[in-house]
Amino acid sequence: MSGTLGFKLARVAVVVAVFLLWETLSRTGIVNPRLLPSASDSLAMLGELLQRASVRNDLLVTASEVLTAFILAVPLGALIGFLIAENRYFADVAKPLLFFAFSIPKSIFLPMFILVFGVGFAEKVGYGFFSTIFIVIMSTTAAVESVKIEHLTVARSYGATTAQTAFRVYLPSMLPVLLEALRISMIFNLTGVMLAEMYASRNGFGHQIATWGENFQMKQLLAGVVMISVIAIAFNELIRWIETRCSHWRT
Amino acid sequence: MQPLANITPLKPASRAGAVEIRGVGQVFKTSTQDVTALEDVSMEVKPGRFVVLVGPSGCGKSTLLMMMAGLRQQTSGTVLINGAPIPKPDPNRVGVVFQEASLFPWLTAEENIEFPLTLRGTPKVERRAKAQDALKLVGLDGFGKRHPHELSGGMKQRVSIARGLVQDPPVLLMDEPFAALDEQTRMTMGDELLRIWAATGKTVVFVTHSLTEAVYLADEVVVMSARPGRIVDHLTVSLPRPRTYEMLSGDVFGSLRDRIWRHIRKSA
Repeated sequence: MSGTLGFKLARVAVVVAVFLLWETLSRTGIVNPRLLPSASDSLAMLGELLQRASVRNDLLVTASEVLTAFILAVPLGALIGFLIAENRYFADVAKPLLFFAFSIPKSIFLPMFILVFGVGFAEKVGYGFFSTIFIVIMSTTAAVESVKIEHLTVARSYGATTAQTAFRVYLPSMLPVLLEALRISMIFNLTGVMLAEMYASRNGFGHQIATWGENFQMKQLLAGVVMISVIAIAFNELIRWIETRCSHWRT
Repeated sequence: MQPLANITPLKPASRAGAVEIRGVGQVFKTSTQDVTALEDVSMEVKPGRFVVLVGPSGCGKSTLLMMMAGLRQQTSGTVLINGAPIPKPDPNRVGVVFQEASLFPWLTAEENIEFPLTLRGTPKVERRAKAQDALKLVGLDGFGKRHPHELSGGMKQRVSIARGLVQDPPVLLMDEPFAALDEQTRMTMGDELLRIWAATGKTVVFVTHSLTEAVYLADEVVVMSARPGRIVDHLTVSLPRPRTYEMLSGDVFGSLRDRIWRHIRKSA
């Protein structure tokens, strides 16, 4: 998955090249530096921002919203997905409906969340939850379906109890798909919370980014973009790392 | 078909490893009609015999095997293993080897073999020792740490056989275990299975589509017909053991295979 050393070096080279291009375009004035401050200036600003108590506070607000939405959406979505997948009738009724719901852009519902919850923590968490739960349900049904009937028969023929079947067959079979679901749901979740913060909010990092944009504070804006990108990539890669460790047997 | 009255009950002491099927029927109820999958099937497998079930698709030979494994219950009649009914799977009496892909891919070969013991809570040291013995028996000494995706098709089925034997049950049931293997591996695995069978003295009931495989492996071949599944012939293979590749082209082999083929062609 991670490839050989050559591929890794090539990837690093691409990232470095992007930053160098950014720096050059800005320094030479090919792109107006007021519109695109240099990479070095933006990264220096990033360091400065991290020192500010208000920025750290915004990050904390966003993190608590993201985590609360995630902790609510993932177990509940997984439970609903599991119940749907284990019951033929539910599966037949609910599956097309889930696809319908999934295809609707969630952002059009954001004004309703503001009307119901008001601008604040509950609205952000509610909207983050709403952005995430459908993908969790759909991924969990896929995870349950990845359990092979042959494996269940083997467990039964060697006298496995229900609990043994759950922990020794269902869980390991589903784990790779579940971890992937976790990773993808976090992308949806983070997108939802950031959008809600940018749309209408008094605090949170998304609010901060929107404000910097409106005030044409490009250095701060770019620094913020880099920061959120790094956090999102780090979480994604962490889960991917666990995924490859848990699913080395998948070929 | 053997009439019921001809089956003389074995003495209880000698019934370890015996498989007795008496007047077994199986009816599947669907919303529109009742389908008779098996009708009045009776047969007896004496301890230590190698018996092969053959028949066209849909003759119920796999269904019959699942009944012997306690994985499915017959609508009527009796199935006895070691002289006792088998209302649910009992790994102490019966080991089952399935078609391909029945190993757990997230476990190593030895963990797969230990799986039945793990379920019973056998201590790890004892489990490992038994798994090692089973690996040796099936000719996979030293391959215990490999995962299934690192093993060839034939090796995977050796692991399945080891898993079926690890609790030392008197009866080994095999449901088309070599169906997914290529021809050469299949021949080799047949010889390997006969070696393991000779070494362990288990009763083996083996389901296959291949007539050559049936005659090559079996002491007795039970031929079934389709819709409803019935036993149409029960023949003894008189070829000496060990079986050799040369026997495949001999007259005895040919006439036995022809006899089975005529039954199957008639009912298919």
